Amino acid sequence: MAQMSLRERFWNRFTGKDVDMTPYGSTTTYGVVDLMDKCGYARPLADTDPVAMTELSYAGHEYGKFEWVKAMGWDIVGLSEAFGCKLGTPQKDIQYSIHGHPYADSIENIEFPSDYLERGRFPMFKEHFRLLKEKVGDDLVVFGETEGPFTCAANLVGTEQFMKWIYKKPENINTVLEVTREAAVAAENFAFDNGADYYVFAEPTAGPALLRNKFFEKHTQPILKQVVERAKGPVVLHICGNTDSIIDMMCDTGVAGISIEEKADMKRAVEIAHQKGVKVFGNVATATTLFNGTPEEVYQEATQALENDTDFLCPGCGIAPPTPLENLLQLKKARDDYFT
Amino acid sequence: MGKEERREELLKELHEGVVEFEEDQVKEAAQKVLDEGFNAYDAVMNGLAAGMEEVGELYDQQEYFVPELLMCADALYAGLDILQPHITLEDLGDKPKGQVVIGTVQGDVHDIGKNIIKMMFEVAGFTVHDLGRDVPLEKFVEEQLRTDSEIVALSAMMTTTMMGMEKVIKMIKEKNPDVAIMLGGAPVTSDTADLFGADGYAESAGNAVQEAIKMISRLREMQNK
Repeated sequence: MAQMSLRERFWNRFTGKDVDMTPYGSTTTYGVVDLMDKCGYARPLADTDPVAMTELSYAGHEYGKFEWVKAMGWDIVGLSEAFGCKLGTPQKDIQYSIHGHPYADSIENIEFPSDYLERGRFPMFKEHFRLLKEKVGDDLVVFGETEGPFTCAANLVGTEQFMKWIYKKPENINTVLEVTREAAVAAENFAFDNGADYYVFAEPTAGPALLRNKFFEKHTQPILKQVVERAKGPVVLHICGNTDSIIDMMCDTGVAGISIEEKADMKRAVEIAHQKGVKVFGNVATATTLFNGTPEEVYQEATQALENDTDFLCPGCGIAPPTPLENLLQLKKARDDYFT
Repeated sequence: MGKEERREELLKELHEGVVEFEEDQVKEAAQKVLDEGFNAYDAVMNGLAAGMEEVGELYDQQEYFVPELLMCADALYAGLDILQPHITLEDLGDKPKGQVVIGTVQGDVHDIGKNIIKMMFEVAGFTVHDLGRDVPLEKFVEEQLRTDSEIVALSAMMTTTMMGMEKVIKMIKEKNPDVAIMLGGAPVTSDTADLFGADGYAESAGNAVQEAIKMISRLREMQNK
């Protein structure tokens, strides 16, 4: 098959049509120090400045050879931030994190503010989208990402308290989720209105590493389903850890794709997902292999992911800041060799 | 009812209260232990801690998840609050087991796992210096030197923050090579722990305390040579 444009390759795979080869890129954050050094725009500026954020987005393609690019920064706190969560101070190799929970003491006044998209970094993201779209034109697929409604809810009241509410005040869980659901819908459609081709929700707090599957089924899945139904474009769901036991439930949220880590069984995930018309992103290990491993180990694991039929060859989670660029490039090398 | 029988009964109430996260049951049983003149240390170790041990097993078997662990921890602390003031130095033997500095590294605010490990250390008789979450790296070094703790336990939940651990290990080992450093947290593996120069790695809460006890005995052996 003749070589496809990067956009065509991505979309064909995403929509189940033929491709010349499996697309390679990252559907999670890539605030990588090597990329910052290459493009000359580093965090913390690249967290708050639309030009710097855009340049680092593009550096993923230019230097990391990713075949699509990420908008909306290098952390997963965007929704919570706009609700007033206090954030930590980012450094070149440390991303934004949640430091304060605005509704820890009471959720009596919790509501979805009508000017939500004027809050946090959304106004900056708007300008960043404009610059990024100007830069990549129609050549590259662009995606936006924030935390999902469940992770956001835990951030608003404190994860520990949120988890105890499962037993102590189950009614509070839904009250908060109904508010964060509105934020998630606003954020995804904000991204689509500003040119995103797809949107990722990262739900690190909702996975089976923390909660029993029954809970996911009862609380998380219905909320995600509503968020996906109301989206103006396709949504991808990323959950960390070993997600083997919830792959079907992740797919049943109605998403177009799921993103999984190396702890999950890619082959089995693909079998389940494809029956439901869902694509799978992943799953080269970020901590052990990409950051810690040799280029040869990355190459081997990437080849393994391709053999396990991943639809999009990607890191399994957010890429660790000190990951060597040389290791990232092994993903592309493995993919190119696999399809020659 | 004989005294021994009654003791067993109260221990069972404490144990079950922790496992079934019945905070009130634990409080009542703990109070009865004191009122009826039983040994508080025995009640902590063979009632509360034994219950928490079963909780650890239930967690490993994926019967319990984090919300249940947190609820059990609340029940355990409710009992500890009542019993701990009545534990005497005599109960503890010649000296406490050891001291631990614990915290979640800078940039990382996930402290649920750290808090559970802290609790396991406490019930096992360690003195714990908890620095909290998002701890500046140099703070671990300062606190270790200040308290002369044998162990520093570092936690990180994100691939993006675990790199701080390597820096802390270097800083501490430079000042005091005899300190045992252990790592834990979702993205950390025994390979990462080796690479960063740590002495121990804990995959789960139960395992953390056993690993710590092993590390301390290794240290003591080294010091006695």
